[in-house]
Amino acid sequence: MVNGVSSAAEQAEQLKQDGNLYFKKNRLGAAIDAYTEAITLCPNVPVYFTNRALCHRKRNEWARVEEDCMRAVRLDPKSVKGHYMLGLALLQRENYAEGIKALERALDLGRGAHPNSYMVEEIWQELASAKYKEWVHESAKRTLALQKLEKSCEIALQEKLVHDLSHMMDDTDEVFSSTSEQLAALKLIFSKAAEADKPTDVPDYLCCKITLDIFRDPVITPSGLTYERAIILDHLEKVGKFDPITREPLHPSQLVPNLAIKEAVGAYLEKHGWAYKMD
Amino acid sequence: MTSPSASSRKVLSKIATNRLQKELMEWQVNPPAGFKHKVTDNLQRWVIEVNGAPGTLYANETFQLQVDFPEHYPMEAPQVIFVPPAPLHPHIYSNGHICLDILYDSWSPAMTVSSVCISILSMLSSSTSKQRPADDERYVKNCRNGRSPKETRWWFHDDKV
Repeated sequence: MVNGVSSAAEQAEQLKQDGNLYFKKNRLGAAIDAYTEAITLCPNVPVYFTNRALCHRKRNEWARVEEDCMRAVRLDPKSVKGHYMLGLALLQRENYAEGIKALERALDLGRGAHPNSYMVEEIWQELASAKYKEWVHESAKRTLALQKLEKSCEIALQEKLVHDLSHMMDDTDEVFSSTSEQLAALKLIFSKAAEADKPTDVPDYLCCKITLDIFRDPVITPSGLTYERAIILDHLEKVGKFDPITREPLHPSQLVPNLAIKEAVGAYLEKHGWAYKMD
Repeated sequence: MTSPSASSRKVLSKIATNRLQKELMEWQVNPPAGFKHKVTDNLQRWVIEVNGAPGTLYANETFQLQVDFPEHYPMEAPQVIFVPPAPLHPHIYSNGHICLDILYDSWSPAMTVSSVCISILSMLSSSTSKQRPADDERYVKNCRNGRSPKETRWWFHDDKV
């Protein structure tokens, strides 16, 4: 190659810089053109795709977001932004299951890289709201199915009562009372079955003593107490190097993920999707 | 005190708002005994009625606490003062400022309004004499420009009362 003529990779990098500049000025069309040119020169750089996806996202062109992010995560399976925007695009077309999976992947990757970044918080917010919507959707279906089943059972019991009464003349009192007992038991069973879908308080042992919110990324201190990672790091930086409850000395390096609580939270949320609601 | 203190002027952060909403909900279900939160739509300033505990020097007396939350609550302590007339107590100044370490140097974000209230009531209950701190006049004069107790360099009287 002649001296002075830059390589394809260098040109593509320059185009990306241009694209970023256009993006900052909100000239999305120009930015997309620049990234597209960069991709033509170097089709294997995941960032060109995620940057272009970000432009499409701003324009609400979700099919294009999805396409670019798919290519980005194929090139770099660890791309936080790729998985994140892919998840958002999937949710846009109401593919909750796959969208949530992509957001969860983004959250895990993001926490590994920068546990405190704004991205992690943003991804969590999107994930929680998707999970909440999914729960609203699913629980409505469950409630309806249960109501129908309960009605059918009631009718069946009443029909049985009529049948029993017409076949035996004695002991009608007993037939009546046993039916009303059965109806009461039925009601109880169905109200128990609906319990998990009824929003109440999250148990204290699944909530951080500082945020008072359900754990997302719990860490345990040498005192045996568990806190939300972001908030305890904030405390150690701003308030002091001590455990907020026991006041024992505490350093960030002593924090260890509490995987048992994390699993317990996961299991709880699986059953009680309403707890994803953020206000 | 009606003038907004330096610590309460800024709006609450998202974390602070979220946490205060949870505290308020918990308070409504399970308020600390002897306290009543006066309902307002101001999350950043709580006014709380305190009843002196039966069998103590303050039995049958009612006081008002004013709690102002800073932008970065609970990473910073709330400002807690008695609305004058404040209880006659060796650690409570006549302008309502309270000399209690957990409100200043010993604050921890794991404490809540509810736990702070309980500490204040126990400070009242364990008092054996109804009198002002020895330096009351000097201290109150120094605070005349509306200074927040959080700006005071406290020298804590003792741990017993």
